[in-house]
Amino acid sequence: MQNTNRLRPFFENITFDRDDNELVLNFGPQHPSAHGQLRLMLHLQQEQIVKAHPDIGYLHRGMEKMAENMIYNEFMPTTDRMDYIASSSNNYGFALAVEKLIGLEVPRRAKVIRMMLLELNRLMSHIFWLATTALDVGAMTVFLYAFREREYLMDIIEDYCGARLTHAAIRIGGVPLDIQDNFIYDLKVFLDKLPENMKDYEDLLDTNRIWLMRMENVGIIPTEMALSWGCTGPMLRASGVEWDIRKEEPYELYDEVEFNIPVSDKGDNYARYKIYMAEMRESAKILYQCIDMYAETQKNNQTELMAHAPQYISAPKLDIMTQNYSLMQHFVLVTQGMRPPVGEVYIPTESPKGELGYFINSQGGPYPYRLKLRAPSFWHTGVLTDLLPGHYIPDVVSIIGTTNIVFGEIDR
Amino acid sequence: MAQHQVNYMQDGGLPVALTSIDKLVNWGRSNSLWALTYGLACCGIEMMASGASRYDFDRFGTIFRASPRQADIMIVAGTLTKKHAEFIKRLYDQMTEPKWVISMGSCANTGGMFNTYATVQGVDRVIPVDLYLPGCAPRPESLQYAVMLLQKKIRSQKAIKTQKPKRLM
Amino acid sequence: MRAYTPKENVQKKAYYTDRYWVAPQVAKFDVESDAVFSEDLKAIKDAKITVLEAFIQVDQMVVYIKPEDNVATLELLRDECGYTQLSELSAIDWISKRGGFEVFYQMLSMTKRKRLRIKCFIDEKQPIESVQSLFRSADWAEREMYDMFGVIINNHPFMKRILMPDDWEGHPLRKTYPLQGDEFAAWYEVDKIFGKEARDIIGPEIRDTARVDRYDTERFARLGHEVPKGAEFNPDQEKTPLAYQEDDGVFLIEGFEEDKSQIIRDRKR
Repeated sequence: MQNTNRLRPFFENITFDRDDNELVLNFGPQHPSAHGQLRLMLHLQQEQIVKAHPDIGYLHRGMEKMAENMIYNEFMPTTDRMDYIASSSNNYGFALAVEKLIGLEVPRRAKVIRMMLLELNRLMSHIFWLATTALDVGAMTVFLYAFREREYLMDIIEDYCGARLTHAAIRIGGVPLDIQDNFIYDLKVFLDKLPENMKDYEDLLDTNRIWLMRMENVGIIPTEMALSWGCTGPMLRASGVEWDIRKEEPYELYDEVEFNIPVSDKGDNYARYKIYMAEMRESAKILYQCIDMYAETQKNNQTELMAHAPQYISAPKLDIMTQNYSLMQHFVLVTQGMRPPVGEVYIPTESPKGELGYFINSQGGPYPYRLKLRAPSFWHTGVLTDLLPGHYIPDVVSIIGTTNIVFGEIDR
Repeated sequence: MAQHQVNYMQDGGLPVALTSIDKLVNWGRSNSLWALTYGLACCGIEMMASGASRYDFDRFGTIFRASPRQADIMIVAGTLTKKHAEFIKRLYDQMTEPKWVISMGSCANTGGMFNTYATVQGVDRVIPVDLYLPGCAPRPESLQYAVMLLQKKIRSQKAIKTQKPKRLM
Repeated sequence: MRAYTPKENVQKKAYYTDRYWVAPQVAKFDVESDAVFSEDLKAIKDAKITVLEAFIQVDQMVVYIKPEDNVATLELLRDECGYTQLSELSAIDWISKRGGFEVFYQMLSMTKRKRLRIKCFIDEKQPIESVQSLFRSADWAEREMYDMFGVIINNHPFMKRILMPDDWEGHPLRKTYPLQGDEFAAWYEVDKIFGKEARDIIGPEIRDTARVDRYDTERFARLGHEVPKGAEFNPDQEKTPLAYQEDDGVFLIEGFEEDKSQIIRDRKR
């Protein structure tokens, strides 16, 4: 019954060994260091790559189509599955875009909690990046150490929202819950120990000959290439452009906290590694300031967590249970969904990977007419087309590692 | 009449253990389940976490291998899309018998929340599945529990029956 | 008779809309209200590019141009006005209402810290010029646009599907394309792996998330009629008596006996 000849992918018919000594190598889609389902068609001359065709779409799940068939609140958990290393940053980007669309101001305490979640997610993402990249390059110990810290971070997040990976911790108009009692304590314990842990990683890597050989002067992205390919986030900052949306176009309370943007003009893998490490330190700095800001809201008795906008946002639980009108309005919002005004927004946020943008075209209905997810990793994968030629096969692995791509958001 | 009973279980007794071939083979099979690194999406991260320091999959004898030729179980961790479907079949065919499949997470079980044009509605449309693990994403503990259940299943099977190659059709 | 459903837009619609509901608009501001944007707009107009409409919405300028001018406008913005990054490029399907697509180019200037959106309208079959010579990022974005909408792009070096497989039929993000796919999509993996003749054996996709098949003992437990996994369905099978653990008593928990219990009437106690 089994007809094996049917399995014939289109690349199988090309001649793999040509007269001009060019070999076509298929890399992926199931490859341990491809960070998901990346497929690369590499044209090789000896060991050197002359042409690279990244092939994506192996995790295309139709999220943009789903968004057109879902009410705005319904889509929130789906955004978790985009960049599944740092889910809250996706939630946040979507929530912010809808808030800008309907013109909503979020209470201060909710902002502080959101910032804490965002920075925790950044830390989680960067630690995960370090673990997997080190594993790809061959440093198994760093992987085990880094996952130890990541599990601790996940415990904190889990205490807050109940999920390890897919948080759905942010709502349109605020956050659903106040942080629990031991959150600040746990966070402080983690942050106080973080410099020590990071020293562990750096001791293992910074003077490691293998790490340096595979990182230094490998995968250099010139500034023009980075700009032209739409690289953002650490990829762009490693190529010498000082651009961080948190600083340049501040959202939330990022204009009130103090932090630096690490920049490097090298553009190679090692520069990116250094930037990720520096950003983790900056995140810790922001988190310390967030703790103080939270204490301040506590002192000023600013306990509101959700914005007050009866047309769009359900009333607090207590009101729904006690007041008739709130219950009716909640029922309508849940069954029919909110109807934002007619218009378009494009809202960028700085996710751990780069610029995460949500383009929403609303036609006044409860479903978005068009929702485009601008995922940073999509362009960071695209840059491989121009970046890989000239490198050798082992460099491919370390370059893919440092681009920090996640396939949930590339293919959406 | 004197009874000459030998207690083999006494310490320092004869270095002999009596068992059936089934048990011996299954003991070996169930405790060295090498898994294929097949992280497709979000569940793949939890699969990595269960292999990492806190959850430590190695104590079950489950070591992740990158090649299907060396793997005994395929943990389908994540959404299987239509574009990827032919590759999962190909990887499954490349694995050597005996082989088992754990479908990890809702997406792999039934398509889950991605009820769209691009997702395969359950990996069992393409390859035969032994164990369905619900959750989105399942915690590492539940993945380990799934492996324990699979070990239980393997131990209950006959080891030297004529192996019928597992195929969906 | 089956109710008529419009085929040109199969997306989900609100099942109830108030007759007197008038959707509010996101405020549009005049371009003159922002000094930087008005300068940029002036530069576009000076270069003899027809500006159909321009306004500021949510802090970003939106400029409608003719589709023929897209390369010239983007080049001008990149070289003269400092919009060095094309952060996003995609289309919006308006086929059912206006017979074409709206293509938008989301640009970013890092020196001015401003973002603007260039939009143009093209007919369904009208090709648009590729901008990948200006911005490499357009290479993949245009491929995605072609893949998802079927927008034809001229002078693109590698015009192939990017997200869907090469042999896919249809363009998924069009409003005519159903969320759960057409027939080709439903049988895609079966046709490709096993062949069309396997359709009967494998069966159609189950899209109903709440489906329980009581005759399928392989995948569903039969409540009330407990059978081993994979057992044949037997219609005159005995009902499994339901027994609860509490019936025989549970460790540490005593059964409730009414005559031994005490009713507390004083609530203050």
